Amino acid sequence: MKPLTEQLKTRQAAILCIVLLILVLSPLFVKNDFYLDGFILIFLWGAFSGAWNIISGYAGMVSLCHNAFFAIGAYTSTLLFLRLGITPWLGMFAGGILASAVGVILGLVCFRLRSHYFVLATLAFGQVSHIVSLNWRSLTEGAEGIALPIEPNLYNMTFAGKLPYVYIALFLFVAVMAVSYVIEHSRLGYYLTAFRENEDAARALGVKTGRVRLVAMAISCFLAAITGSLYAQYVVYIDPSSVARLQLSVQVALFTIVGGLGTVLGPAIGAMIFIPITIFLRANLGTAVPGLHMIIYGLILILVLLYMPKGIYGTLREKIGRIRATSKPEN
Amino acid sequence: MDATLFVQLLIAGVLLGGIYALASIGLTLIFGVMKIVNFAHGEFLMVAMYLSFWLYHYFKLDPYISILIVVPLLFLVGILIYRLLIKPTIGAPVLTQIFVTVGLSMVIENLALLFWSADFRTVSLEYLQNAIILGPYPSLGMEEIIVNPARLIAFCIALFLAVAFYFFLKLSYTGKVIRATSQDRFTALLMGINIDRIFKLTFAIGIMLVGVAGALMIPIYTVHPFVGFEFVLVMFVVVVLGGMGSVVGATVAGIFIGIIEVFSGFLLGPESKEAIYFLVFIAALVIKPSGLFGLEGEEELERIEAID
Repeated sequence: MKPLTEQLKTRQAAILCIVLLILVLSPLFVKNDFYLDGFILIFLWGAFSGAWNIISGYAGMVSLCHNAFFAIGAYTSTLLFLRLGITPWLGMFAGGILASAVGVILGLVCFRLRSHYFVLATLAFGQVSHIVSLNWRSLTEGAEGIALPIEPNLYNMTFAGKLPYVYIALFLFVAVMAVSYVIEHSRLGYYLTAFRENEDAARALGVKTGRVRLVAMAISCFLAAITGSLYAQYVVYIDPSSVARLQLSVQVALFTIVGGLGTVLGPAIGAMIFIPITIFLRANLGTAVPGLHMIIYGLILILVLLYMPKGIYGTLREKIGRIRATSKPEN
Repeated sequence: MDATLFVQLLIAGVLLGGIYALASIGLTLIFGVMKIVNFAHGEFLMVAMYLSFWLYHYFKLDPYISILIVVPLLFLVGILIYRLLIKPTIGAPVLTQIFVTVGLSMVIENLALLFWSADFRTVSLEYLQNAIILGPYPSLGMEEIIVNPARLIAFCIALFLAVAFYFFLKLSYTGKVIRATSQDRFTALLMGINIDRIFKLTFAIGIMLVGVAGALMIPIYTVHPFVGFEFVLVMFVVVVLGGMGSVVGATVAGIFIGIIEVFSGFLLGPESKEAIYFLVFIAALVIKPSGLFGLEGEEELERIEAID
C-alpha cells in the first residue's frame, strides 16, 4: 500500500514541477502582446476565483460581495500611491489587511445566517459597496475613475512591457493555489469541510465553526484585495464599474463552480476555460453580437450545474479515482 | 417639511411600494413554498415588460388589456422553466439552486440585449398624461397634491391582487395544499400531496404574477435588457423583510421600502436611496432574519430528497 501512495506523490510532484516550468517559461516565447494579455487575465481571474473559493467553496458560505474586497484592494493601493506616495508593493498589503478587517466584521454580523439568507446579505453588501464607490467622490472620484501615472519603474509597480505583469500575476496565481492546497490539507480545511457538510455535527465534535470561518474569510478577502491591487496596477485605471461591479462576484463564482468548487485546481481551470472564450469572441466578433459571451457563460453554468455539479475538475478527479480503485491490484 | 410636502411624499412612497409589492409577491411565494431564491425573477419581469411593449408597439394593444395575453404566456414559461431547470435542482445544495437561476438570468438578459438591443423603450398612454390633482384643503393647511394616474392604477391592481391571492391561499383547496407544502413538505408528501405538481403550480403562478407587474409597469418605467437587475435587488429586500412566503408581509414590506426610498431620496439625494434600503435590509437580516411576518426559525431550511 505505502509504496503506491509514495509513488503517486512523487509522480504528482513531478507533474507539478513540469506544469510550473511550462507556466514560467511559456510567456517568454509568446511575443504577441495580445496573448500575453490573455495570460495575465487568466492568472488574475484564476487568483481571484481561488480567493473566492476559500470561503465559498471550502466553507460553503457563498459570498456575492467579493467585488467589495477586490475594490478595496484596487482603491487602497492606488490611493496610497497617488496621495501619499507609498509604493503599491506595500499598498497592496495595506489593502489586503483592510479587506480582511471588513470581511471579518461582515462575518461577525452575517455568519449566523444560513445559506439563502447569507447569500442575500452578501448580495446587498456587494451592491452597497458599488454604490458607495460611485458616490464617495472625495475618495474615489466617483464614476470618472482614477488613472495611475504611467512612469514605468519598479517603485511605481508599473512597467513598459507586459512580461513583468505576467510574472507578478503568475506568482499570485500560484500563491493562491498554494494557500488553497495548504488549507485543504490542514486542520483548518478539515474544520471548514466539517462545517460545510454538517454544522451541528462539527460543533458537537468541538469545531469552533464561527472562528474557523472568520479565519477563512480573512484569508479569502486578503487574497481578493491583493488581486484587486494588481489589477489596478496592470490596467492603470480604475473606476467603480470595472472594480466594484456586483457582476465581478458572479463571474468568479461562475469560474469556480464550472472548474470545481472546493478544489485547489478548480478555480484555475475555470479561468482557463472562460477567459480564452471571452478573448476569442471579442477578437472575432467584436461588438457585433453584444452579450454573446454572457449567454455562453450562462449556458455553460446551467449545464455544468445540472449534469456535473462537482464541476469539471471535481468530476474528473472522481472518475480517475474510480478507475484507479478498480484497476488497483488486490494487495 | 410642511404638511403638503409630507403627504405628497407619503403618497408617492405608498404608490411606489405597491409596485414593489406586486413584483415581489411571486418571488416570495416561490421562496416560501419551494425554498428556492429565484435570481432570474427580475428577468421575467423584464420579459413581461417587453411583451407588453411589443404588443403595444405592433398591435396598438393597451398595456392594461395586454395583461390578458402576457399572463397566460408567462404561466406557460413558468411551467417550461420549472420542467427544464428547477425540477432537477430540487433537493440539490443551495448553491446549485441559486446559480442555476443566476445562469438563467444571464442568458435571458443577454438574449434580450441580442434581439431587442440596449435601447430604452417606453409606452406613453394619452389618457394617463394628466395627473390627478387632489385638494387644495385649506382647512388642513394643505395645497394641491398630485397623484400619478399610472401609479395609482398599478397600486390598486396590486392591492386587489394581493388580497385576492391572500384569500386564494387561505380558503381554496389548492391554496391550502400550497401552504401545507410550504410549512412542512415532508409531512405534505406523507399526506399524499403531489409535491411536484404543487411546485410546478407555485413556480408558474409566481412567474405569472410578475407578468402582471410587468404589464402594469410598462406605462411607468422605461424597459431595457438590464431593468430586471434594477428591480430584483429591491424584490429580495421586500421578500426577506416581509418574511418569505408571506403575501401580507411582502405587501407591507413593499410599501415600507417604497416610503423609505421616496423619503431618503428626497432628504438625502437620489444616489443614497438604494444604499439606505440595503442597509435596512442587512439590519433586518441580522436582527430578525425570518422577516416581519415570517415564522420563527424559517431561515433554517429543511431538506428534501430530489423529485424523480
